[in-house]
Amino acid sequence: MTMRGWRSLLPILVFTALYAVVSLSVTNSYYQLVMTLVPVWAIFGLSWNLLSGYTGLISFGHAAFFGLGAYAVALGQIHFDLSPWVTIPIAAVIGGVAGLLIGFPTFRLQGHYFALAMLAYPLAILYVFEWLGLQEVTLPIKRDNPIAYMQFADHRFYTLVALAMMLGTILLTRKVEQSRFGMALLAIKQNEAAAEAAGINTLAWKLRAVTLSGAIAGAVGGFYAVVLLVVTPQSVFGMLVSAQALTVAMFGGVGTVWGPVIGSVILIPLAETLNAEAGSRFPGIQGVIYGLAIISVILLAPEGLFWKVRDFLRKRSAPPVLAKPDAPDVPVASVAAAPARPKRSPGTGDVVLEVRNLSRSFGGLKAVQDVSFKLRQNEILGIIGPNGAGKTTLFNLLNGFLRPGTGEILLDGREMSGRKPHELCEAGIGRTFQIMRPFLRMSISDNVVVGAYVRARTDAEAKQLATDAIARVGLSGIADRIAGELTTKELRLMELARALAGQPRILLLDETLAGLGHDEANEVVAVIQRLARDGMTIAIIEHTMQAMVRLVDSFLVLDHGAVIVEGEPEAVTRDSRVIEAYLGKKWVAHAPH
Amino acid sequence: MTKSTRAALTRRSLLAGASAGLIATRAWAQQPSEVKVGLLVPVSGLYARPGTVMREGAEMAVDHINAQGGIKALGGARMKLIVLDSGDTTEKAKNAAQRMVAQETDLVAASGAYLSSFTLAVTEVTERANLPVLTLSYSDLITDRGFKYVFQTSATAGSQAKQALPQIVKLAETASGRRPKTVAIVTDNTAASVSSAKAMRDGLLAENGLQLTVDETFTPPLADATSLVQKVRSAKPDLLFFLPTVISDAKLLLEKMNEFGLGQGKIPTISFGIAIAEPDMLQTVSPELLQGLLTCVASWGAKGHEALIAELKTRYKEPWMTQNAISTYGDMWVIKDALEKAGKADRVAVGEALRTMDAGPSKYYPLGEIKFDEKGRRVGAGMTIVQWQSGVPVTVFPPQLALAQPFWPKN
Repeated sequence: MTMRGWRSLLPILVFTALYAVVSLSVTNSYYQLVMTLVPVWAIFGLSWNLLSGYTGLISFGHAAFFGLGAYAVALGQIHFDLSPWVTIPIAAVIGGVAGLLIGFPTFRLQGHYFALAMLAYPLAILYVFEWLGLQEVTLPIKRDNPIAYMQFADHRFYTLVALAMMLGTILLTRKVEQSRFGMALLAIKQNEAAAEAAGINTLAWKLRAVTLSGAIAGAVGGFYAVVLLVVTPQSVFGMLVSAQALTVAMFGGVGTVWGPVIGSVILIPLAETLNAEAGSRFPGIQGVIYGLAIISVILLAPEGLFWKVRDFLRKRSAPPVLAKPDAPDVPVASVAAAPARPKRSPGTGDVVLEVRNLSRSFGGLKAVQDVSFKLRQNEILGIIGPNGAGKTTLFNLLNGFLRPGTGEILLDGREMSGRKPHELCEAGIGRTFQIMRPFLRMSISDNVVVGAYVRARTDAEAKQLATDAIARVGLSGIADRIAGELTTKELRLMELARALAGQPRILLLDETLAGLGHDEANEVVAVIQRLARDGMTIAIIEHTMQAMVRLVDSFLVLDHGAVIVEGEPEAVTRDSRVIEAYLGKKWVAHAPH
Repeated sequence: MTKSTRAALTRRSLLAGASAGLIATRAWAQQPSEVKVGLLVPVSGLYARPGTVMREGAEMAVDHINAQGGIKALGGARMKLIVLDSGDTTEKAKNAAQRMVAQETDLVAASGAYLSSFTLAVTEVTERANLPVLTLSYSDLITDRGFKYVFQTSATAGSQAKQALPQIVKLAETASGRRPKTVAIVTDNTAASVSSAKAMRDGLLAENGLQLTVDETFTPPLADATSLVQKVRSAKPDLLFFLPTVISDAKLLLEKMNEFGLGQGKIPTISFGIAIAEPDMLQTVSPELLQGLLTCVASWGAKGHEALIAELKTRYKEPWMTQNAISTYGDMWVIKDALEKAGKADRVAVGEALRTMDAGPSKYYPLGEIKFDEKGRRVGAGMTIVQWQSGVPVTVFPPQLALAQPFWPKN
């Protein structure tokens, strides 16, 4: 591990050690129990966080994994006399398998639909366990050999076991966070489509995440059964259990290892103290106070305490930098002087991409009809047409967001139509988006690294590819800035770098110049020209022709989804059909012939 | 009487008072002036209502015990009730139990914890802390774990069904002149209902010459009882065993029965458990619909409890005395007896006293004795059958405890 890795590990180790010391000094068995429950719910929160915190797919159903783990441990001891030392790892396996089985069908859904579907699983399993007659099961007391069955007379041992499990979970989560696994999950959270287009097999990563998350939940559920000693469907599959994971994670902070830990450290003792102090005097008041506390924190710190405190500290430690204009990475002067690429006659070079009779309809609307063209090695093809001509739909067909209705897409002669975006990305098709899809909370470097994983075998290699790509678009100077702070031009260039980092053979650029001023557009054009000079094959969509004429080798003009003209820029701009499509019939007469 | 003699008497009585005081002080120095008894029940959340009734029963008992001189073997030490909230989840109940044993270290015994799943979790803690717990929960599991410090005052679920069924059949036969042959079971899937229904299915019905024609299990809360009632109507059983836990389910089914012309005794309906005889029933179901309905419960305010029932009414505005009140009232007296026997305010000694005590016939629990077997189950524990009569559920069985004659709903 690097120095930086060790240093960031230090707070975790210090916290764990402090917690252990405090818990060992507690003699009151009730406080000892509370000390045990804090890491238990923290682990459960971490498990939830691993799936929902990093991917953004909210799970209301983590109790499913938790409960299966708890019942595995209880039934294992009742029926097979198995010790929890053995059954907790088994519970982890069961939780993991359940995660996989639940995740596979459920990841077809997104957003609220995913959250609601997840809600159903524990509730359904709850009824299954009731139907099985497992309304109440207790772990048999072991008077002879308690330690072998994890039945400690001294409660502090439970805390130590829980603490060890929590440390393991934190380290695992951090490992995930810092690897391409975590990067992929974060990319999915911020923009699943962009992640997929950047070559991330989103379904595979999500399945890995839910499996790991389910395994952790299963293990901690098993341990919870040991602590509670009685397992009922309500106490392990109930709504409140799933809610507990969300509560501690959201209170503390989503998408960080600290969040669930902070949430649990504050909320569990708070709830207990309220139950103890207020419960018998003003029955019910504890729920009201607890609820109000959570509501006010969520209102004041919607992303959780951790992020609120971190943002506050950052603001204090770094006084706001005076807005200074960023020095352009690509000197403007050089843009104008960029040597025009030697014009090559179309029709030479190897065909990289061939599209044959591609069509796609949405109901009665024929968005793309019968489009055929060839893209040759080191060619820049401009795809133009008025709004609604079907340009972006064509790109979506080419990179796999949409399945073609009919027709073929041949990459190096291989049929690729209907493949998933990440497969096409892997095959060498990179793209950018008309509406930018940056990962706003990540730095430029991290945004670009996401695109590099498709090509890189190791994390180091990915870093290298990303650094190169950032250099190629001229953003090296600001590579550590957060995407959310960038200008439109910088975002366009960053997206370009992200596509480049995967070392594509073909780059599909969707209105890369949109929303840019004249000078900014020139800068971006200069970057694209340099890429072309270095041998990249590019297809670019644009509906303003001005900038394109200087850039492209040939044009493909679409209108109403069909190709109306194909050819060299000079010829195309004079074609009456093109003028008609853009300006209407009456302008055809005025056009210079 | 002269002035001087009055003064002398006063002086004498003063002296006597002083010496009595001295003796008392000496006794206090040897024995605690107060003995703490725990009551761990839900007083917040979903089950707050029954938990509160349990507390009322316990408070009444403690007041009566103290008014009658406290614990005599401890120099008249007063009993003090410590109420802890078990909340509405198993985890909260277990945490409360841990809090009880950790922070109320001088408790000598406790009573709790209403729901059997709470009692199971609570007694896992109290067993390890050697704190004796009396419970009205009647899941068989509670006393099947080999625990030494849990004492079940109610007949267990399995035993209750066994006792009740012959009585029901006999009642039906004497009242209607015809022995019932077919029965329907409509039960929810909560732990207590499931174990009662299971006992009936697994032989009890057959033993009593009854044939099961409809067997339906539902998950509370019911959204609609129509399909359940339709099945019952088409089968036309002689008896319907209806086991709800949630009052809204009871209301839905009873109203639907009435709507289908099966209500008010057309098909005699028998329940198990307290849910259908809770005072809250009257807030949602009209007394006419309840008239004649029978339920088999572990214990109920009965003959011999008239003064208690009246006191509960005036003091707490409770319309009648449910199992929760009378059982918890009895628990305090049993703990008192155990303290007298143990002779010291020590939980282990009280536990030993409970295990070995033989305090004769039970006054507050139905039938049997104040004596526990090796599992911790009360010896000879009986049960009561309660019938809704003119808007009040009254004990009609066993005869020696009955406050009213049972009647069989007329066809």
